[in-house]
Amino acid sequence: MSASYIDEMHEAFRSELVYRPEEIPLECTPGPKEMEQTLHGVMKLNGLIIRSLEEIAGRGANAVTYRAGKKFGHEIAKYFQKREDVEGALRELSDLLRGQYSFEVWKPEGEESFIIEKDGETFIYLVFHDCIVRQTLRRNGLEQGGPLCQTLYGYVVGAIEEITGRKARLEIVHTGPNACLKKLILK
Amino acid sequence: MDIRVDKDACVGCGLCVKDCPMHVYELQDNVSVPVRPNDCMGCLSCHEICPAQALEHRGIYPARRHYIDIKVCEMLRKVI
Ligand code: SF4
Ligand code: SF4
Repeated sequence: MSASYIDEMHEAFRSELVYRPEEIPLECTPGPKEMEQTLHGVMKLNGLIIRSLEEIAGRGANAVTYRAGKKFGHEIAKYFQKREDVEGALRELSDLLRGQYSFEVWKPEGEESFIIEKDGETFIYLVFHDCIVRQTLRRNGLEQGGPLCQTLYGYVVGAIEEITGRKARLEIVHTGPNACLKKLILK
Repeated sequence: MDIRVDKDACVGCGLCVKDCPMHVYELQDNVSVPVRPNDCMGCLSCHEICPAQALEHRGIYPARRHYIDIKVCEMLRKVI
């Protein structure tokens, strides 16, 4: 390795900045445009982990990622206000997910209420609009609905269970490029 | 939701009819017609599958797209 190459490399990591421990950063650096490469790197890495997990664990991959998501949901929602009403719980959940996922409660035109009772099940439709998982899968050319999506389902279920104290389940109804429809089944 | 189908572009393949989870479309005289637009939840699967790019949704919430490679898009924009 040539000395000039080493010097050049060292030069790239030098600055005149005086850094003090009390200096708390108030914004992310670098700016969003420069973050693009980092974001692509993270997406690529996540995609490869999921692909490898599927290759090795087969269908068991879903159980692993679902469990991981559920634990995360319980963990995060522990610090939120406990409430019995589902509407309140969904509000809490949407605050919890802000920035990574956004969703709305939805119903087909023919349904009277957002809480639907059909075939002995009580459920609510959720349309997920912004979703970092969908972005990651599409970035990697992976199918939607697989193990990475299970992480999100686990997360939502874990958080709802933690907030309401009720058991819940989430089912995929449809995955699309711009939004996904899910069914939150309440037990 | 305001959904419009370009009747001249639509080839009547019926892919949007089959793919839409909310059964928004029906084929009438070999052209897709959005008969239940208010049941649309904005997934845009129909846009992705339509070979004729005949569909238009107005008033839709566009999900954030983080996966677009801006450099590639900038290059393509110069070419197209
Ligand atoms: S966006 Fe989705 S729900 Fe709406 S018409 Fe297209 S396929 Fe159906
Ligand atoms: S997918 Fe496109 S071309 Fe095919 S029927 Fe639907 S609108 Fe027409």
